[in-house]
Formats: sequence, structure tokens, C-alpha cells
Amino acid sequence: MGSAKKTESQSRKARIEEMRRAEQTRERRNRILTITASVIVVAGLVAGGAFLINSQSDDKDSASGDSKSTSGKFVTGKDGVKTWSTKLTQNHVTKDVKYPMEPPVGGDHNQVWMNCNGDVYTKAIKNVNAVHSLEHGAVWVTYNSKASEADVKTLSEKVKKTPYTLMSPVEDQKDPIMLSAWGHQRTVTSASDPAAAKFFETYVQGKQTPEPGAACTNGLSQ
Amino acid sequence: MKFAGWISGVAAAVVVAAGAITYAVADGDDSGMKAPAADSADAGFARDMAVHHQQAVEMSYIVRDRTKNEEVRRLAYDIAQTQANQRGMMLGWLDLWELPKVSAEEPMAWMDMSGMPSAGDGSLMPGMATTAQMESLGKLDGKAAEIRYLQLMYAHHMGGVHMAKGCVERCQVGVERRLAQGMVQAQESEMQLITDLLKKRGAKPQT
Repeated sequence: MGSAKKTESQSRKARIEEMRRAEQTRERRNRILTITASVIVVAGLVAGGAFLINSQSDDKDSASGDSKSTSGKFVTGKDGVKTWSTKLTQNHVTKDVKYPMEPPVGGDHNQVWMNCNGDVYTKAIKNVNAVHSLEHGAVWVTYNSKASEADVKTLSEKVKKTPYTLMSPVEDQKDPIMLSAWGHQRTVTSASDPAAAKFFETYVQGKQTPEPGAACTNGLSQ
Repeated sequence: MKFAGWISGVAAAVVVAAGAITYAVADGDDSGMKAPAADSADAGFARDMAVHHQQAVEMSYIVRDRTKNEEVRRLAYDIAQTQANQRGMMLGWLDLWELPKVSAEEPMAWMDMSGMPSAGDGSLMPGMATTAQMESLGKLDGKAAEIRYLQLMYAHHMGGVHMAKGCVERCQVGVERRLAQGMVQAQESEMQLITDLLKKRGAKPQT
């Protein structure tokens, strides 16, 4: 008996060790990825520099020229989160804005933010107000009529419990359930998709927030 | 000649890349970082901007008591909430770094701007209102208060953007530089909004 317990605790210890090792491996891999990317950048710059000098060209590097937010595109990361490729503008405008993605993940927006203090809207809201909430660090949960009633209910419960989130229907989005933050977006398969919890953890008042500390209250509500 | 040019090109590329990597690493991850020194730009910006922000919070509370105009009250709410929170972040960093909230140096020394001329008592840093200006704002009502607030805040933001750019250039701590960069963008965008609100009221920014 005693020895069985011992082996059990040993195997648990081993499992914990294993998980810890896996975590370290992941970290190491990320570091290696960063270094590899840096090496590629250096190599690219060296090659680029050599090419420029060889061709005796005085032209400015046009590849790094800044472009408007509307000219960007989504790039999907290995975690499945799509990131907008160019810098998104942040002007306050009174007119309507045509965004290059739906739901929008940033760009010019209305002066008034949509309340995002765990607010659940059952009718569609205006993009120009929701984008302002994203600027304040909110995560916006959107769904269309293809989403199951149960998923919508579960997600709205989650949103109600989470300050700096909001939820509303967006009928013309391409997937049933989508999550958006400033510059980032992903689709989740259901309310219980672990990717949803991960997205909340990463982006609710996350690093991407252009205006940290700004409020989700006293804006517009339905 | 061509060979020498090639060599210098490569050298330049390596320097640029090294800089980019340092920047990327510094921007992403501050873990394992040592606390900045008391006379660093990081500490100086955190100290001074906490004070600068405090006046914007105060000014915003005043105007919310002086007007019923929804647009201006909302702008004031936004500024008060945002800057009170950001001020808390900066004071929290100073606490974590175990650094004092005041310095024997003059304000703005971290930007080589100590001894700058002051607009008057209470105006410690670029764009700050004087004590007299704050008092007179508290005596105005309605449209007059709105215009005065918008003008004072325009100047306040202009000074704030200047300071935030100073941190973007000088600060070493990634999270702090990121916050400063956010301030530059947000406050410049608000200056545009303030200009529009002033125009609606037949007034202009005063600087």
C-alpha cells in the first residue's frame, strides 16, 4: 500500500517535472524564434545594404514607408489570433467610418465610446463607438444568427462578469462567434473554446491597448 | 572605393539591426530588469508626468461642476479617468523601484529642461496652468467655463505630448515607453477634438 502511494506521488512529481520542462522548452523555443528572426533581419539588412550600395542607388527604402490603416491586412499567428499588419489610426471623427474588416479592430472612431464595463447589447451597435472601446482596452465579443443560443447565453454571462468587455450581434461577420481587441481578432468555435478564455486573458486591458487607463463607463449605452 | 562602400554599408546594417533587436527586446519584456536610477528619464518622467496628469484630472473635475454640456463633460470624464489611472501606474512604478516621488532636481531635469521659464505659480511644467488660471476656471459657468477649460487643456496636452515624446526618446523601460507613446497619440487626437469643440463655440486654442 505504502509503496503504491509512494509511486503515485513519485509519478505525480514526475508529471509536474514534465510540465515544467515543457514550459521551459516552450520559453526556450520562443527565445530561439526571436533570435532566429533577428538573425534573419540582420542577414536581410546586410543583403539589402549590399544590394543598395552595389546598385549605387540613393533611393529611400520604400518597403518601410508608412501606409494607411486601410491598406493593411490580417496576419494569422501560430496561436490562431489574427493581427492587423499596419498601424491603425486613432482620430476622433463625427462621420461614419468604413473599416477594412468586420467587425473592425481599430481605426478612426467616434468621440463617444460604447460602454464596455461588462455590457451586453442585444441589438447591433455602431462600429464607430465600439472601436473607441477597443482603444480603451476592451475585448468585443460578437456573434451572428449562426451562433447557438446556448453559446450566446454562456458568453453573455462571461461578459457580464468581466469589466472591459462588451458583446453585441454583428450579422455580416464571417464566423458565428468572433472576439476582437485593438489590432487583433479571432474566431472561436464555441463559448467553451479554450481560445476564448486565452483571448480574454491576453487582451482585456492588454499590451495592445492604445490608451491604457481610459474608462469603459459613462459612454454610450443602448 | 566600391569595396569600402560595401563594408560601411554592412557595418551600418549591423548597427541598425542591433538597435532594432535591442529595441524589440526592451519593448517586449521588462522581466529581470534592474530598477532605473533616481536621475534617469524613466524615474523623471514617472515623477513629473504624475504631477502633470494630476492637474488635468483636477481641471476636468472643475469643468464638470461648471457646465451641463454633455460633450465637454464627457471629454472631461475621459481625461479625468484616463489620466488618474495612468498617474497611478506611474506612481506604482516608482513604488516598485523604491524611488522617491520628489527629486532634489528641478522638474523636467530628466529632459534637460530644468530652469525653464514658468508661466506663473503652479505652472511647474510645460503646458501646466497657473494657480490663478485654475481659480478663475472655477468661477466661470456654462459656455465661458467650457471655452476656458478647452483652451487650458489644449495647452496642457501640448506640454504633455512634448514630455511624453521626451520619454519615448529617452526611457529604457518598455512598458513606460509604450505608455508614453500611447499618450502622444491619444493627446494629439484629443487636441484635434478640442480644436473642433472650440470652433463650435466660436473660439480657438490659445498657446
